[in-house]
Amino acid sequence: MSLEWTLIAALALVTAAIRVTGLIVGTRLNGSRWAWVLDDLPGLIVVGLVGASLADQGLAGWIAAGVALAMAKWTGNVIATMAAGMAAFALISF
Amino acid sequence: MLLSGLRHGALAILPLALGAAAYGFAFGVLAGQAGFDALQVAIMGGIVFAGSSQIVAVEQYAAGAGLLGAVLAGAALNLRYVGIVAASAPLVQDWPWHLRLFALHMATDENFALTLATRRRDPAVGGAFLLGSGLMLMAAWIAATGAGAVLGAALPDLERWGLGFAFTAAFIAMAVGLWRGRADAPPWGVAFAVAIALKLMGLASAWAIVGGAMAGLAISGLRR
Repeated sequence: MSLEWTLIAALALVTAAIRVTGLIVGTRLNGSRWAWVLDDLPGLIVVGLVGASLADQGLAGWIAAGVALAMAKWTGNVIATMAAGMAAFALISF
Repeated sequence: MLLSGLRHGALAILPLALGAAAYGFAFGVLAGQAGFDALQVAIMGGIVFAGSSQIVAVEQYAAGAGLLGAVLAGAALNLRYVGIVAASAPLVQDWPWHLRLFALHMATDENFALTLATRRRDPAVGGAFLLGSGLMLMAAWIAATGAGAVLGAALPDLERWGLGFAFTAAFIAMAVGLWRGRADAPPWGVAFAVAIALKLMGLASAWAIVGGAMAGLAISGLRR
């Protein structure tokens, strides 16, 4: 087996193990007194994703993020927000 | 019910699937340059199906990190899937176990966040939406990464054109959809700040995201 196939198989196995762990953890938590964790986690992970991707952005990224946030609050629409964010980013960067 | 949910999810994810396809195409080019052929890239997309970890693993492999280093880097980035799958599991808890595993294999950043954000407005949205959006996303991802690997290096640097920022903007829209009111402000503020701080300290994005979410959970727990 080539190195590439080995890498693909290993990453697939580890990722599957991580997802199964999530299934077990999620099933245990649901209905327990820790169920609030499942309610809170999605928003917190998404906010973490935004933070991690903005951390090494320059001013252009932060301004574009502000434009995207305004568009998201105004329209509540994912496509409009992506378009506004990318347009702002491109305008400021060039 | 199941079919309409599948279709609803598959259609709703389309703009994000197009974004992922453009990103995946660029990844396919990178993978092609690193020595992966189109079949390998397509199969990887199907059985790993965690785009950012595929990108990091292939990047590390191309940079000479070795097999173990590349897999570990990709796996670290995927640790957040414990949270993503845990949060998605209630949506499919009444399904038979093989369908549950299948649906949760289809849970990624994009369709998980879209599913839960849509569900907050419409409680009828559930596991079928997650599965339908995941299937559409996977089809787009496999096709685009495979095509990228075939076409190889003849492409300009798409990142410079704001492509990477499209995902940030999409996550911002999803965060707004998940916002429940002022009580969310302290944990969200802490999660955001900690994720930025950890990333600036040089940690990989995966750890920054997990650390930020954990810090936010701690604040939620303290206020309860």
